[in-house]
Amino acid sequence: MDSHLLGWFAVALYLGAEAYSILSLVRPRVPALPGHLLVGGGLILQFAELETRARALHSVPYRTIGGSLALFGWMLGLSYLALLFRHRERAVGPFLIPFVILFSVLGLLLPQPGLAARSDTRGALFALHVTFAILAYAAFTFSFVLSLLYLIQKRQLRRVHTGLLFSRLPALDVIARLNRTSVSIGLSVLGVSVVLGAIWAEHVWSRLPDAKFGSAILTLSVYGFLLWKDRRGWVGERVALLSILGFTLIIFSYTVVNLYFSAQHAFR
Amino acid sequence: MSISEEARLALLGFSFRGAGAPVRERVAFTADEIREALTSLVKRGLISEGVIVSTCHRSEIYSLAPDEGARNVLTRFLSEWRGLDQAEIDGSCFYRVGGDAVRHLFRVASGLDSLALGESEVLGQVRQALSLARESGSTRAVMQRLFESAVAAGKRVRAETEIARHPLSVASIGFELARKVFGDLSRRSVLVIGAGETGSLFARHAVEAGVREPVIVNRTESRARELAASVGGRAVPWSGLAAAVPLADVVVSATSSPQHVVTRDQVESAMRERRGRPMLFLDLAVPRDIAPDVTEVYNVFSYSIDDLEEVANDNRARRAQEVPVAEKIVDEELENYLAWLSNLSVVPTVTQLRRRMEELRDLELDRAPAAERERLRGLLDAFSARILHEPLRRMKAEPDPARKLDRVEAVRHLFDLDRE
Repeated sequence: MDSHLLGWFAVALYLGAEAYSILSLVRPRVPALPGHLLVGGGLILQFAELETRARALHSVPYRTIGGSLALFGWMLGLSYLALLFRHRERAVGPFLIPFVILFSVLGLLLPQPGLAARSDTRGALFALHVTFAILAYAAFTFSFVLSLLYLIQKRQLRRVHTGLLFSRLPALDVIARLNRTSVSIGLSVLGVSVVLGAIWAEHVWSRLPDAKFGSAILTLSVYGFLLWKDRRGWVGERVALLSILGFTLIIFSYTVVNLYFSAQHAFR
Repeated sequence: MSISEEARLALLGFSFRGAGAPVRERVAFTADEIREALTSLVKRGLISEGVIVSTCHRSEIYSLAPDEGARNVLTRFLSEWRGLDQAEIDGSCFYRVGGDAVRHLFRVASGLDSLALGESEVLGQVRQALSLARESGSTRAVMQRLFESAVAAGKRVRAETEIARHPLSVASIGFELARKVFGDLSRRSVLVIGAGETGSLFARHAVEAGVREPVIVNRTESRARELAASVGGRAVPWSGLAAAVPLADVVVSATSSPQHVVTRDQVESAMRERRGRPMLFLDLAVPRDIAPDVTEVYNVFSYSIDDLEEVANDNRARRAQEVPVAEKIVDEELENYLAWLSNLSVVPTVTQLRRRMEELRDLELDRAPAAERERLRGLLDAFSARILHEPLRRMKAEPDPARKLDRVEAVRHLFDLDRE
């Protein structure tokens, strides 16, 4: 089957999951299982799509911005499924799944020339470097969504708006804890990715890592600062704002830096 | 449906909607009085079955009367029992029969007829009413099923709608807000300033919300100790208030102090000690106990009594929006109950029982050789007619209506006639 077709089927299931999660938000007593199955089904189909692409390229499909975004969307979906099983916080779904859909759709729409991978980008070290980086971005996207939810819930608490969203969104403390976990995971995984990337670059490149390396260090610094301040009185709104700043940095790094400033990380 | 069966189901009630508090007080029943009244009503043959629901907002007698004149029987009984003038009873009571009586009970159990729409306490009171009636021996199939169905309707309404979800009391709202800041409150500390009526109410709510050992501070330390002892909390002297504030996640204040009991400086200092961890203040005092500008301190949430009242009003409106869905559930349950009640009539039961016998006969005949079937059919028909003749004759001839219904119910159960 055409790999794109699998991808679109996955998107259809994600759309179903989004509709169901909105329904769950309005009527929290509807069973959770259909939502889990829709997300799980979408992930399986998208994985099949990514695998088909990988087989054709003999490499993880991240050399094009499309392939990279598809992998990003898939990892974000996987993180959401993990959250559902671990914390059963379904209220995050309606806000997070649109990002999964957005990245997956962009992954399908953006051009993906079927060129085989360069010889230097083959091998486990490089694959792990990029996969971990994308996983870290997924964790930071999660943190971004949680931060938005934190700000919304805090605003409602401040204004004593106790409507539907107020009753459905988790407590501030719960959102803050989930956010902390997301950032911790993202930070650790990005750290590993940078180290792996540096080791790989030393073997392959003739000069020191480029602008992308700088932006990764900046991202690490922002999120590291966030965790540090979180333990020193910034807990809550300020941490949420910092996380949003961190996410804009990631989007900048993912697009502008990759496309215009980085010779070695350019999508091609 | 047998209209006569349904028509014999009657309700005589007094509720806050039509009867003033003085009348309601006089017709209110204690648990012992309920037992006594039901026993007396049944023994004197005035009703065949009965249940009394008595709460501070209503007293209602549900009965299955031998004939359709239950209203007079019950008002006369009440008049004698309570020494009330019959005209006074007639002027303040309401009377429902059949499906209307059933619907009323289902609405009561669902909280749709309550002063605080959707309140849950009434469901327990309906359950308790059935339990008292059972102890008095005044329930059989009809009342038993009626009240079980009412409880089921009440549960469904609460599970399938949001009618009981939004709290209405300021104490519940206060702790709901605290839960939205802190999540699970069992690991949170609560400080209650003031051991008066409001402080006591909130201390109890804190314990109900899962808080362990709320801290109580009061100017008169002995009152703080009393309240702490009654809720399993800990009393702190007034001089220890400043030290207690930084340790508390939730501070409830309800004193009659003319000045602020907790100032912004104190809160800022507390937040430094807490390294920015959130604090929530519930200020129930008028004039206010907590300086209003504490809300400007980072991660501090503060709510006045007016804020909580405003939420209560919003929640009342939200509950009201759920009424149409709740009424639909009541209608469904009512339909189910009336269908069951109509099946309790003798004629459909006999018809269904005969049909069941014919089904069993045909099953057996299918296994017999074709040549034998006609002869065997006659034999089996004669046999089943003989077997059923005496039980059905006795069931039809039973003079006591309640016992007759019991027998019909037993036959339906034993032969699984409700399966169809």
